[in-house]
Amino acid sequence: MNLVESIKSAFRSVFSNKMRSFLTMLGIIIGISSVIMITSVGQGAQNSISKEFESFGSNLLQISLKSRQETGYSDYLREKDLEIIKKHPSIKYVSGLSYSSAKTKLKNPKETRNTQLLGVHPDYNLIAPIDIIYGRYITDNDNMSRGKVCVIDDALANKIFSYEDCLGEKISVVTWRGTSKLTVIGVYKNPNGILASAFADQMPSSVYLPVNTVQDLFGRNYYEQIFATLEDSSNASSTALEIVDMLHRSHRLEDTYYVQNSVDQLKQINKVLGLITAFISFVAAISLLVGGVGVMNIMLVTVTERTREIGIRKSLGAKNRDIKVQFLIESIILTFIGGTIGFILGYLGGYLVGLKMNITPSISTFMVILTISISCGIGILFGVYPASKAAKLDPIEALRYE
Amino acid sequence: MIEVKQLNKIYSNGKFEVKALRDINVEVKEGEFVSIMGPSGSGKSTLMNILGCLDKTSSGLYKLDSVDISSLKDNSLADIRNKKIGFVFQSFNLLPKLSALDNVEIPMLYAGYSAKIRKQKALEALTKVGLEDRIHHKPNELSGGQRQRVAIARALVNTPAIILADEPTGNLDSRSGEEIMAIFQSLNNDGSTIVMVTHERDVALHTKRIITFKDGKIVSDENVDNQILVGGDNR
Repeated sequence: MNLVESIKSAFRSVFSNKMRSFLTMLGIIIGISSVIMITSVGQGAQNSISKEFESFGSNLLQISLKSRQETGYSDYLREKDLEIIKKHPSIKYVSGLSYSSAKTKLKNPKETRNTQLLGVHPDYNLIAPIDIIYGRYITDNDNMSRGKVCVIDDALANKIFSYEDCLGEKISVVTWRGTSKLTVIGVYKNPNGILASAFADQMPSSVYLPVNTVQDLFGRNYYEQIFATLEDSSNASSTALEIVDMLHRSHRLEDTYYVQNSVDQLKQINKVLGLITAFISFVAAISLLVGGVGVMNIMLVTVTERTREIGIRKSLGAKNRDIKVQFLIESIILTFIGGTIGFILGYLGGYLVGLKMNITPSISTFMVILTISISCGIGILFGVYPASKAAKLDPIEALRYE
Repeated sequence: MIEVKQLNKIYSNGKFEVKALRDINVEVKEGEFVSIMGPSGSGKSTLMNILGCLDKTSSGLYKLDSVDISSLKDNSLADIRNKKIGFVFQSFNLLPKLSALDNVEIPMLYAGYSAKIRKQKALEALTKVGLEDRIHHKPNELSGGQRQRVAIARALVNTPAIILADEPTGNLDSRSGEEIMAIFQSLNNDGSTIVMVTHERDVALHTKRIITFKDGKIVSDENVDNQILVGGDNR
């Protein structure tokens, strides 16, 4: 019997028992749809995190101390270190970064909101750009005059002043040293990235200040970190090593500073995300196994029910192989249709979850092919035994079966 | 056409041995219409299963159409069943979910004919048994006699060397039974070789030769002198 005829007759048999076929497929549908949903959301999350990293620039270096406890106060990162780094020929932009969390007073209701005060140099806007919609960014002048000025995001502006264009207004920030008033000189658009939107209210909003002003507010004169970008990301690792070397030489120290480059960081984050996705998918895949057992169970029932048909077909000239192929195709069709429905549901589910988490789920062609192959594979794996059982039936016995 | 020599069939379950057929010698020539009679357990069904290549011999020779069947493997036996043998069963054995036409097409599926030829030949066969206006009916929409005619059409469709009928009228009322015998006689007149098992002498008398079995042995083999001919319209 040729394949087309076998497939036709298998379809007929699957559709003649719609309810049972559907229930049999259910396990596969649930398994495939959950795997697809998880991997598509996982992949989408990786993509958007990569994108967020790219907005930082893939050629970013972060210079910091290995351990603050083990380093003498005089060897903390300061302006002269910034100057040293700036001298390296591969470096494009450099900014010190001094940050601390604080609370901002809201006007109405009288609450406070967590904010992250980021003391920066003007170059920081070239390293990690923000989208200024009103006013301007921090300038060298602001830094030199240690001006009590700040750049806030539109969301915070709305919370405090109920409007966005609030240049010249003053906000109150509360630190452990007391309350200070800062004049708003710029408002930027909240980038609404995946992390920010996932934790909408818990995420402290970032407030940019001149780095010297933050130092004044907290009574310190060092930078927590120095951020730098490279002219060219291809030599990120070697430049990182050279900069560490330069700092150590200037401080006559060893093993004190270290530089992280964003390429490596992104790789790490993606690795972790990939592992999480793979693990959850693995758990979801167990339901596929259960689904497969369900298919096998129903196929065994089908073979028993159709023993007489098998006998008739054999008496009419069906070879063992014909019978085997017929039942195998039936189980493949069950899992194939189940897999296809599961894929569509999983994709829709991923899309809905994505809407909620502000992620665009992503499925590669490879995943599509893999899903379909896995569904068919389950059909084969769990269909072979019932099909062989059918093929091996003795025609005389089978014809006698009532 | 059929040549059986010193054929034995022994069933064994380890402890007991049952000799279902003992030293059977039969020859059926082309164009014969033979009935096999005997009480149940006499071995006639066993012989039919062996003649139909559904079962294997324990010893002895079975030649069908000059081919030695005894030495063939499963796949070759399936081929013989498909191309050389047409089965007609007591309980029709049609597939309930398929139309008459689709049922008749099954043997041709396994013979590998194209869809067009299958349909054409199935129509021809159904016309031969007078069911050309029932081709899209499913078995449960047909009477017993009509079902058996579909089964005969199915047996004919691959132009087999021999038609094996196992109690073909057993589930039918006498009028339908007569109809079926009429079809067999007409097929036989056209040259088909038919071997039929029955336990009714009336039915056997429609054939040309009666072989009687008892306890796994042939006890008589006689030609029918006054064959009952079902007249006129053989449909």
